[in-house]
Amino acid sequence: MNGHRRAPRASLPSLVALAALVTACGPRDRLVVGAKNFTESDLLAEIVAQQIERRTGLRVERRLHLGGTFVCHEAIVSGRIDVYVEYSGTALTAVLQRPPLQDPDSVSRIVRAEYASRFDLAWGEPLGFDNTFAVAVRRADAEREGLRTIADLARVAPRWRAGFGYEFLERPDGFTGLARTYGLAFAAPPVAMDLGLTYRALADGRVDVIAGNSTDGLIVALGLTVLEDDRRYFPPYHAAPVVRRAVLERHPAVGRALAELAGRIPDAEMRRLNAQADVEHQDLAVIARAWLAANLP
Amino acid sequence: MDLIGFYARNSGEALGLLGQHLVLVGVATLVAAAIGMPLGVALTRRPRWRGPVLGLANVFQTIPSLALFGFLIPLPFIGGIGARTAIVALVVYALLPIIRNTYTGITGVDPAVREAGLGMGMRDRELLWLVELPLAAPVILAGVRIATVVGVGTATIAAAIGAGGLGVYIFRGVATVNDTLILAGALPAALLALAADAGLSLVERRLRRP
Repeated sequence: MNGHRRAPRASLPSLVALAALVTACGPRDRLVVGAKNFTESDLLAEIVAQQIERRTGLRVERRLHLGGTFVCHEAIVSGRIDVYVEYSGTALTAVLQRPPLQDPDSVSRIVRAEYASRFDLAWGEPLGFDNTFAVAVRRADAEREGLRTIADLARVAPRWRAGFGYEFLERPDGFTGLARTYGLAFAAPPVAMDLGLTYRALADGRVDVIAGNSTDGLIVALGLTVLEDDRRYFPPYHAAPVVRRAVLERHPAVGRALAELAGRIPDAEMRRLNAQADVEHQDLAVIARAWLAANLP
Repeated sequence: MDLIGFYARNSGEALGLLGQHLVLVGVATLVAAAIGMPLGVALTRRPRWRGPVLGLANVFQTIPSLALFGFLIPLPFIGGIGARTAIVALVVYALLPIIRNTYTGITGVDPAVREAGLGMGMRDRELLWLVELPLAAPVILAGVRIATVVGVGTATIAAAIGAGGLGVYIFRGVATVNDTLILAGALPAALLALAADAGLSLVERRLRRP
């Protein structure tokens, strides 16, 4: 679900996938768009691929659902894929092996500079959304209690129950720091449970607050309200297309096509798109085509 | 090794989780036995129910635990989050071996022995308590043993619904890509399963001896 946030690991399947990828590609005159192995990444790759096709007339090949950050990064560095969408926080911590930073501008600056100098890759303009942890509550509760931000939550926390996934409870940028930053004190220690089940438990009123992923389609499907991280506690994971600089030099139109996507997909829009794929099970290519037609005619 | 250091530093928490694990498996197995044994006996008296009841217990086995939890969360009384829901799920998984072995054990009693009992003027109830159950006891206990050993492993999923147990270390370890943590939960669970198996097989052997 949130695989892009995890540290890259060279699992056997991903290495096999990489080997298959390496052997499958010969010399070519077309672009290859890659994606990591979860819905959002696949969907963004499809949008990027169709946008390049529409605007440049180049042939674009899809290599979707590759085995995670490590495989995509190796593939693009070795030139087996030309474009994929990466998250700034993941690039900083997983690829560049730096400690997490809170300020989105610093993260972007470091990632852009290092990608250019170390890998000859261009870090594109962010697409708009930030796929980080999202503190979510039932909409009815948010309206009744007048909750808009996580700071507002501190007021009702002593009466509320929280249910969190293990990753959120254990990560250095997870619950402990959040509670400290906002002075959250719940009625009882948060219930530790499976991330997917926390959504269910919240919807059924078994807990009152959870920490999901900010672009998860379930947030739309279950009618949840995401509280704003007004003290900027969560590190930024802004999505942006990564492109080989050699490709941009050979086909400047690709850069212009990708620049059109900048800032066009805010959190709520990404959530809606993910819901179309994960909840309504629509075809990715169809979702991408409809979105492009509506937003970038 | 890291693991020894980990236990040394977290002995209180580790023992607490081990205790939760034992309670989860113990309560679930007792409840499953209390439901499964009478049901198994009833099936020997009502053979027509055999197919549907065993079929249902079979189907229960195939429900993935996370899906089962998903179904249970909204239910009143047996649902929600926490130990109760986890125990309900563990009972559901433990029923099949207990029902099946109770049924098999009793129907496996030598018909000649049963005839002899009837010939002595025993009524059905006496036949059951004095002849069939004692003779079937090792097989019935073998069913409880299977349910317990499987339950020790299955109970690690209780951590997915906020019920604690050794699975907490496994879930934490998976979430943070920490092999030591995963082992800290998996290793004692495996040892516990072996210990339960050895202990119950000892009881079983004692029952087999006349």
